[in-house]
Amino acid sequence: MSDDKLRDPSTLTFEQPCIRRRILTSYLVLMFLGLPLWWSTTSIQRLSLPGTRIDFLSGKELRLPISIAVDAVQSSGVLCISFSRCQSVVSCLLNALQNERRSRQSAPPDAYIISLTENAQIPTIQNKHLSIPMQQGQIANRTPELIMSLLTPYETPSPPGTFRHLVVKYAPRYRLAFTLLNGDATAGRAVIGWDVVKMISRWIAPILEQTSELYNFTIESQIQFYAPLAFEPQVLSNGEEVIHGLTQENLKVFINSAEWTLASSVSNDPVLHFVLFIPSISHSPLHILDSTQQPTFSNAFVLPQWGGIVLLNMPIDAPPKFHLTEAELDQVFSGFQVQLLRLIGVPELPLGVQSANSDRPLTDFQLDTLYRQRAFENAGSSKETLQSIIKLVDQISNMPVGQDVRDDVRESLSALEVLYAGVWKAPALALQHSSRALTLASRAFFNPGMLALLYFPAEHKYAVYTPLFAPVAVPLVVTLLKEVSAWRRAIRERKGRTAL
Amino acid sequence: MRLHPFTFSFLVFFLRIVFIVKSADTDRAEKFAVHRSLSHHAPAVAFESAHTNNWAVLVCASRYWFNYRHMANALGMYRTVKRLGIPDSNIILMLADDAACNSRNHFPGCVFANRGHALDLYGESIEVDYRGYEVTVENFLRLLTGRVEPSMPRSKRLLTDDRSNIFVYMTGHGGDEFLKFQDSEEISAFDIADAFEQMWQKKRYNEILFMIDTCQANTMFSKFYSPNILATGSSQIHENSYSYENDDDVGVSVIDSYTHFVLDYLEGINKTSTASMEDLFAKYDPVAIRSHPGVRSDLFHRPLEQTLITDFFGGVAHAEVMTARVTEGHTNAPSLLDSPFAEIDPINEGSGHEYELVEALPALADWTRDPLTITLRAWGSLSVMGALVAWVTLKSRWQRSS
Repeated sequence: MSDDKLRDPSTLTFEQPCIRRRILTSYLVLMFLGLPLWWSTTSIQRLSLPGTRIDFLSGKELRLPISIAVDAVQSSGVLCISFSRCQSVVSCLLNALQNERRSRQSAPPDAYIISLTENAQIPTIQNKHLSIPMQQGQIANRTPELIMSLLTPYETPSPPGTFRHLVVKYAPRYRLAFTLLNGDATAGRAVIGWDVVKMISRWIAPILEQTSELYNFTIESQIQFYAPLAFEPQVLSNGEEVIHGLTQENLKVFINSAEWTLASSVSNDPVLHFVLFIPSISHSPLHILDSTQQPTFSNAFVLPQWGGIVLLNMPIDAPPKFHLTEAELDQVFSGFQVQLLRLIGVPELPLGVQSANSDRPLTDFQLDTLYRQRAFENAGSSKETLQSIIKLVDQISNMPVGQDVRDDVRESLSALEVLYAGVWKAPALALQHSSRALTLASRAFFNPGMLALLYFPAEHKYAVYTPLFAPVAVPLVVTLLKEVSAWRRAIRERKGRTAL
Repeated sequence: MRLHPFTFSFLVFFLRIVFIVKSADTDRAEKFAVHRSLSHHAPAVAFESAHTNNWAVLVCASRYWFNYRHMANALGMYRTVKRLGIPDSNIILMLADDAACNSRNHFPGCVFANRGHALDLYGESIEVDYRGYEVTVENFLRLLTGRVEPSMPRSKRLLTDDRSNIFVYMTGHGGDEFLKFQDSEEISAFDIADAFEQMWQKKRYNEILFMIDTCQANTMFSKFYSPNILATGSSQIHENSYSYENDDDVGVSVIDSYTHFVLDYLEGINKTSTASMEDLFAKYDPVAIRSHPGVRSDLFHRPLEQTLITDFFGGVAHAEVMTARVTEGHTNAPSLLDSPFAEIDPINEGSGHEYELVEALPALADWTRDPLTITLRAWGSLSVMGALVAWVTLKSRWQRSS
């Protein structure tokens, strides 16, 4: 009876090898089925980017042709902005000009026309027409340089005393913040109002209008009644008169950013500040000192890429409260205008050249040059941005690249390719393409989805995964090995039995 | 299962391999941290900084009352950079901000950094940009790389360009190559190095001063590989940073030692000071600070003695005077403006110089990040594990069969 009760374990249904193997296999099958899921949930999306197209583009040079029709020569020459060549082309042109002065010929409509006149004293620009004076059949030696600096000032190395380093970075939108600061209005001679709207429309608006293809401006203005300086100006006495002076060092720290609120932070556009500062009575008259601590005539200065400041000393007999009128502000705003031109990068006219269009602050030469210059800059920086995206994605292996990034990169690249392929006679069009390329490239770079996953050393990964998987894996693997060996033993025994 | 003694020795061997790989990393860290290299590769001409604007990113990565001192560290730096002329709009302050109004604060609304309560750091006009639970590793990296949501307000963005000098200050609890953020996550030295590289690639800075006060702080800048970064930290690897003093009324430590001495030195600096970074570093006293501060300047290309403290802590570097009094009407006259000190900075202009650096980068990059090495290491350790398991199973089987 006892033999009947104690059965051989291998004859129990749930201890049969095939059941055990099925259980084991189901675990393994489940794991294999889970693998793709695990793979797809843990891997990051890294779409391929058009790297070869970008590489191809980076070898190319952007050319924006300039047509110049010389109003005396048979042929009209086309200049390419490749600098070494430009100069020689210009001089060749001018040689031709001197040698074969003939009748005026029809120029392409968008060409710059250079003509020689005998009745002008200095070079004059009217729209796209430059007249160069000529004496006794000779033109001045420096004419090639003059034309160069008119058309391609950004290619020549920046001589000291120019203002290229003041220029703000390109952005499609800017905010202009005009601020009237009273040093201390409570002490008297307080300016409580100014005709800012009229002044802006007279001095600033014409520039904004002319550069509207390039920039979009928003204007804000404010008056503050208490704006203390963060330092004590130097006191100079000149006989009977006492004046206060700002040294060069003072100018750098003039803006008391801790206490003055100069612009609202409503948008992310770059802000250009224009500050009219009325010194308090205790600090007036306030003058700028030169390096030898002598007061200068100047009453204005520029902080690079930030904005401009104009000081205005009130007359001693000024009433305690008053309103600044046009007459007093004209001078101030003409200063702001010059500062604005410097800050947004409008090239200066070469020395001794005058404009015949007195109604417009910028000549066509200057505007076109500005467009070309910004187009070059934008093309360069969008190319750099695209290259750095490629490089970073390559370098940082856990940086995701999503669909929107790829689309932006592609579109930016196509805009660049259009820019590089075309021959853009109209600089404004070239600018549009370059600006679009830059905006898209930057948007791709700054895409929030591009944030790389955090880095963890391999040891950390083992430390996290081992306690999770080791307890599950050990019985599975051991059972598997046992089953395999049992199976092999069974085969061997069966063979032995058949051999017997 | 009984383990054979040989299995043990195998395990020990395996662990030793892992340790060697790890310590090779840390050796490199130590080399950077301890060694104060003052060598520079910049041309021997004007070393004035080419920046036009200054930014500061101040991060206090701790929260809770007992980390009062970290809040005080960050606020102390905030007060200093603001005093030296960086406007609030250019300061990004990341602060848990749970000290001033903590119910355990005996001085509500105040944060003090010294025993005598001489100076209330919280005081007035504190603009905390990332507060409380917004202080995360992700937000910090998004801030640096500029990869923020379009809806992010201006005050939470780092709107820098290639003319910006950025001062990055971090404080909190850290360790070998990591800094803990609010007890929930950590940032590694690799992440910051990669973020700086991305900033460099997008031209988001001219120069960076990276300063960190935490335990084993110098390991945090050991992985940097982007140019124009000057880094300094409070303590070497395997070394703690300590607090400076306790206040019995507040009941906790009020400031960390390293930050205390740095702030103490900066108190003597004003906006027009000509003191250099070298002067600051020379003031580091390991005995007083009770740890060994480190400086890493091999990525920085100006001599430290000509790098002004105000290049990083100050406001504006240049101003251009219009020489003639602005007069009526004529806008095209080019002679209206003149620049008495318009030196063209060779560092800025000579961009070829910077490109050389970019090309040299692969050499600087850490070999441990090489994908091939990582893969080899992973497979190597996997096969060691496999061999171990096989060994144990086979061994037990042999024992049984014998």
